[in-house]
Amino acid sequence: MPPASTTVVPVLPDQVSGGDGVRKIANPLREGLRLERIPEPCTMVICGASGDLTTRKLGPALYNLMLGGFLPPEFSVVGFARRPMSDDDFRELLRQGIDQYSRNRPVKASVWKSFSQGIEYHAGEFHESGSYADLAKRLDRIDRDRGTSGNRLFYLAVPPVLAPEIVKQLGAAGLADTGEERGDAKRGWVRVIVEKPFGFDIGSARKLNREIGEVFKESQIYRIDHYLGKETVQNLAVFRFGNGLFEPIWNRRYIDSVQITVAETVGVEGRGEFYDQTGALRDIVQNHALQLMTMFAMEPPVEFMASDLRDEKLKVLRAVKPMTVADVADNTVRGQYVSGWVEGHKVHAYRDEPEVDPESQTETFVALKLGIDSWRWAGVPFYLRTGKAMPTRVTEIAVQFRRAPLALFARAGAPQIDPNILAVRIQPDEGILLRFGAKVPGQGLQIRSVNMDFRYGSSFAVDSPDAYETLLLDAMIGDPSLFTRADEVERAWEILDPILRAWPEGKGGPLHFYGAGTWGPPAADELLERDQRAWRRL
Amino acid sequence: MASRSAAQRELAVHRRLMEFGEAESLATPEWEAKGTDVETIEAELARLWGGPEVAPADGDGEARVTEKGLPHARASVLNLIVTVVDAEAAERVVQTMMSLGVRHPSRAIVLVADHESKGESLDARISTHCHVAPSMEDERICYEEVILTVRGEAAEHLSGVVAPLLIHDLPTFVWWPGDPPFAHPVFDQLVELGDRLVIDSADFGDLLGGMRRLANLRHRSGVGDLAWERLSIWQERIAQFFDAPRFRRYLPNLNRMVVRYAIPAHRPSPSERPDPDAPIHEAAAPMAQAVLLAGWLAARLEWRRNKTVEWLDGRGFRLRLEGRHEMVDLHIQPEATDSVTPGELTSVHLRAYGETGAAEFIIDRSSDEATVATNADGMTALLRQVMMESPRPAELLSAQLTANPKDPVYESALRAAVIFLAAARSGEPLSARNTQVVSAAQELGG
Repeated sequence: MPPASTTVVPVLPDQVSGGDGVRKIANPLREGLRLERIPEPCTMVICGASGDLTTRKLGPALYNLMLGGFLPPEFSVVGFARRPMSDDDFRELLRQGIDQYSRNRPVKASVWKSFSQGIEYHAGEFHESGSYADLAKRLDRIDRDRGTSGNRLFYLAVPPVLAPEIVKQLGAAGLADTGEERGDAKRGWVRVIVEKPFGFDIGSARKLNREIGEVFKESQIYRIDHYLGKETVQNLAVFRFGNGLFEPIWNRRYIDSVQITVAETVGVEGRGEFYDQTGALRDIVQNHALQLMTMFAMEPPVEFMASDLRDEKLKVLRAVKPMTVADVADNTVRGQYVSGWVEGHKVHAYRDEPEVDPESQTETFVALKLGIDSWRWAGVPFYLRTGKAMPTRVTEIAVQFRRAPLALFARAGAPQIDPNILAVRIQPDEGILLRFGAKVPGQGLQIRSVNMDFRYGSSFAVDSPDAYETLLLDAMIGDPSLFTRADEVERAWEILDPILRAWPEGKGGPLHFYGAGTWGPPAADELLERDQRAWRRL
Repeated sequence: MASRSAAQRELAVHRRLMEFGEAESLATPEWEAKGTDVETIEAELARLWGGPEVAPADGDGEARVTEKGLPHARASVLNLIVTVVDAEAAERVVQTMMSLGVRHPSRAIVLVADHESKGESLDARISTHCHVAPSMEDERICYEEVILTVRGEAAEHLSGVVAPLLIHDLPTFVWWPGDPPFAHPVFDQLVELGDRLVIDSADFGDLLGGMRRLANLRHRSGVGDLAWERLSIWQERIAQFFDAPRFRRYLPNLNRMVVRYAIPAHRPSPSERPDPDAPIHEAAAPMAQAVLLAGWLAARLEWRRNKTVEWLDGRGFRLRLEGRHEMVDLHIQPEATDSVTPGELTSVHLRAYGETGAAEFIIDRSSDEATVATNADGMTALLRQVMMESPRPAELLSAQLTANPKDPVYESALRAAVIFLAAARSGEPLSARNTQVVSAAQELGG
């Protein structure tokens, strides 16, 4: 029960259009309650329930939501996968996962007992229509027995290649239909959660969106990117639009340049096969880094709600200056780490990682220079960098302001003053830092830059919930603010498309190497030095 | 103003709070003076934050600076004024706040007013409290605490002593543990100084009188009631029953509400309690939460008072209320138990008639868990087990310190609670004066 630390008005279940299209009367007891929102009764179907994601993330998230009383008593779970398993086996699998990975451990026997009564397992092949017909019957029975009102949430916890097939089969079995479409008042809403990566390039992303879109409406599709926790989005929005001080200077007139850094200290950590086919550009830049940029650069939305927010974010992406293949070499740097030391530990070279091609050309580091062609941002470079095996784990957006127009103090012997910096830190501890020049006390005129540091943790001392808990609850409630819309995904791929095409053809500049535990290859520094700028030392 | 029983209750509050202590905290005494003045104290407070050069770190060399050489984070969020009856109580407030890990205040001022002393004098003690911030192990968050003992006539003018010591432009909270002296001018002064008054109606010596005063408090600040805060999980669970539209239709048809609250099952005799410091599990007004919850539901659903049926010797009552479609039987009952802290709720039962027969909505609590059951629509009873931990006092206080100043939902629940208590006590059947609960405030105010 964390005290409310944001001013965002919660979306009550009543305000969500139910599948039945009937306007519902609000619950008068909800007025003024401070606690979080509770979804309507529903069944969550986890496709790929025997996998790692279910035991590590989904099970613990659901259990913690139940423990906190955020789920209605009718809430039910159906695990759907190939592996033959009994209901009890599946419950045991979930329970073990919770015991190992939940933030609240060990499992409370009594809470688990009542929660597990609503958990079932459905064994079946994903490509056989019979499995879905049986699933449909099972879900109807659960609706009758447990009162889940026909509300369904399908979670696709499967490798991306399987998603289109499952979606097609769900559609064929009538499982994607809402009550509205069937003229059936007993049927509620149907939503589907799709895990990233959303495609591999612009072509595959469009294909995936089309295939899912043939069955589900866009309003039913929730593309999950757990990297974007709720707090970051809301903190940034409140910082920009809840204060009168910053927005007036949030433009080309006062801002010189923007740096976005997403640095990880870890290497590929057993994900060698996946990572070697993916690389940093697809893994981080396409979603996380570009999303941060959109939230930083977007215009104020008309209202702080999903559709307005996503419209504004899309506008930013659409205004990103398209690169030609020829521009790629000038505006991008890619790197791959060789052996080195990170945080006092020896790290092997990327190519020596298990399941990685010994001659791999995959990038583990990217630096990019992008521009946004809008009235607000024209001429302001946005420098993005992300890498693995970096010296510290940090995610931040730093704004460098223009220098003071006159070197007023130069005659008094003070050298050129450093420009002001405003850094919005997202990881590891969220906060905001402002750097400005101050006179060093004493005779003479010496100016030194000082930091003014604000941390959310030290002012509010509140723990944020796990990202999966927040996102699952949002999907059940029907708040898509933190999920990515199809057009955003496609536009992000379009921006990266010239780079993805240039690199394999050898036109986008060479693959540089950098020692693990350094801030990427020297070429990344040169990218900024050409503009008389430098990366922030973090 | 420091009657013996008030002091005892205040002691009980702190003992109760202390039990839940959790945060690791470091207190560093900084400065102490007897017979000093406000100006000197102000100067000492300013010196505290003068940074490492001005105020050299003591002994271990890390009192003010982190390992990274940064000063300990100063989170300026709010001022907190706590009033206590004597030096001993002040000591307990300090202990309590430390053990609570109250990380919110930027400056806490503990006031000890000694009206009895001859001659005016002002004693002060300043200490800093540092907590390790979650997820920032090398970083400590510090706030300072000033204990002021004001003697003689100055004790009648506390606001003048405190005002210069507050950090400017921050919201100021006045926390009054125990039974607040509503009639005393000092109370008005301090409440006027603050933006929000935090009390616990479960500590009122006279529940009806205290709640009535609270409901009539006219000033710009809001009231935070810890007893109300403890109810938030119950309100949430009750509201949840009616989130599903098919159950919501029962809401206007509720015809029975039974709220039970805990009283000690076993009252140990003095001989059984050899340790005088053993915690006393006793709230002065254990019925406070139960009445507020009933008031909340009545105000939300616009029930009207109809008549009093029974008054159970100050420990419970039965009222007949007029609901939207049905007459509502409201029962407030004590339940002797040792598994739930006295004053906390043990169960809420709601009953309604619908098209398909009776429906029941039940929350039964035992220790830190509750069974939540819905039995309606002719369906199999829906049962689930949820956690029902009493929020820790740190959470209660924190929640109060971040809440909005005005809470109209609380205010209407409080007014309804006052009407219930007054009606139940008077015991008269009042059907003739069929007053709507929500609009009855004017009646009270007059």
